Amino acid sequence: MNRIKVVNDLPEIISSDDNIEITLLEKNELFSINSLRIKVKKNTSLEIEYYSLKETKLDIFIKVDEDVKFNLFEMREGNNTKVQYKFYLEENSETNVTKFYDVTSIKEMVIINLNGVNAKLNYNFKTISEAEEKYDMIVYHNYSNTVSNINNNGVNILEGNLIFNVSGFVLNNKKDCVLNQNNRIINLTDNKCQINPNLFIDENDVEANHSALIGRFSDEEMFYLKRLGIDEANALNLLIKGFLLNDISKKNQSKIIKIIDKYWR
Amino acid sequence: MHNLIIKNLTVEIENKKILKDFNIEINSGEIHAIMGPNGTGKSTLSKVIMGDPNYKIIKGDILFDGKSITELSVDERARLGIFLGMQMPLEIAGVTNADFLRTALNIKQGNSFSLMPFIKKLNETIEHLKMDKNMIHRGINQGFSGGERKKNEILQMYMLEPLMVVLDEIDSGLDVDSLKTVGKNVMDYYKKNKPGLLVITHYQRLLNYIKPDYVHIIIDGKIVKSGDFSLVKEIEKNGYENITKNDLYDEGKSKK
Repeated sequence: MNRIKVVNDLPEIISSDDNIEITLLEKNELFSINSLRIKVKKNTSLEIEYYSLKETKLDIFIKVDEDVKFNLFEMREGNNTKVQYKFYLEENSETNVTKFYDVTSIKEMVIINLNGVNAKLNYNFKTISEAEEKYDMIVYHNYSNTVSNINNNGVNILEGNLIFNVSGFVLNNKKDCVLNQNNRIINLTDNKCQINPNLFIDENDVEANHSALIGRFSDEEMFYLKRLGIDEANALNLLIKGFLLNDISKKNQSKIIKIIDKYWR
Repeated sequence: MHNLIIKNLTVEIENKKILKDFNIEINSGEIHAIMGPNGTGKSTLSKVIMGDPNYKIIKGDILFDGKSITELSVDERARLGIFLGMQMPLEIAGVTNADFLRTALNIKQGNSFSLMPFIKKLNETIEHLKMDKNMIHRGINQGFSGGERKKNEILQMYMLEPLMVVLDEIDSGLDVDSLKTVGKNVMDYYKKNKPGLLVITHYQRLLNYIKPDYVHIIIDGKIVKSGDFSLVKEIEKNGYENITKNDLYDEGKSKK
């Protein structure tokens, strides 16, 4: 298991194997941005723990080589982060990204380049939003037969103001690509949240689906739980926990449960 | 001894009356079957008993042990001992069956809740219902077949040990073997706990396993005929349409 700990904008490699190269580039003093370059050469996993206590900027470049399967799990806590992720996913590679954020105020840009035939991305993002949070995500299907499954889930609380901008691009002659976008925000405030799902497709042979939902849990879901004598508060807790833990592996759930319990115990 | 009495209940949803002056009384140890064609108010009845806020009571009352429950919320009614097994159990991803049941039991039992007896009972019931043991760690009804969902409703009933049970088309989506398992387990629960039992169904096949003391036919939001098990056979033979015609004829005669 490869592990990186980032405190503010300073990454520290806790452990790494030979399947991955992790390089910290020299800081761009003009823009005050640190950069982390990660090259995945063989099948492996990486865990990033990110704590930010002051305003920070960080660029992370991840390249996944041909025929490689890569799992990335990131947990982020703290405030005021501006992070840019750039993924370059090569032919026949499969990248599974799971991210859980509990931060106050964040702007994040994620750019994904599916750079080879059969490159596949499964992206599962969860956040508890209690201040301004804006996530821009762009997925370029630069080759045929590429697949992107994007799942963004957020629970908006307190002074939260959560925005997901998600765009998928397929160029002409890049055939048989699959684009799935599923974005949902549970808004427990009267504040405004936004989901802007975009599919820019210049090719006929494409399978594309998107769903975007902002609101509270449905009456049917609440009724189904209350029907067993579970009161409003506990029913809501169960649904929030389920929403944030869904599709998270057992291994990573315990850390996330500790965070969820801070808010909804 | 417990009882559920529905008195002259008129219910509407989206300005459409579904139940009209509906009456029924169910006591502990009695099995009532409600039968009727689609769209006559059977599922509405089950949801109104449980307190679904989407339905508006225009007139009448629902009494449990002599006290009106119409002002109580869904969870308050459940905590009195009323249980609804649903026709179309929802899938709720991420909330495991174990968490769901543990939370419900914890609230019901309070300080007397203990994890080990809960797990023991859960495992035993899963075995009786011939369910997959791993289902307990999956999301509620997530990836379940129609039959598994219905068995999951019966599992919930067993765990909660309600006093008054309403089963809304618990037989739909069940194959022959699952129907037998569900029917047998409902009857085992009934024999042991003697709850009042209201079974809503279209078909005789479920009532071959769950033998009702009383059978009621509901048409257009009200009970038009009541009888014993022989009424089920009459429906199977003649259909609802003929029963309705005869009943209306009888009603006409009796009014004269």
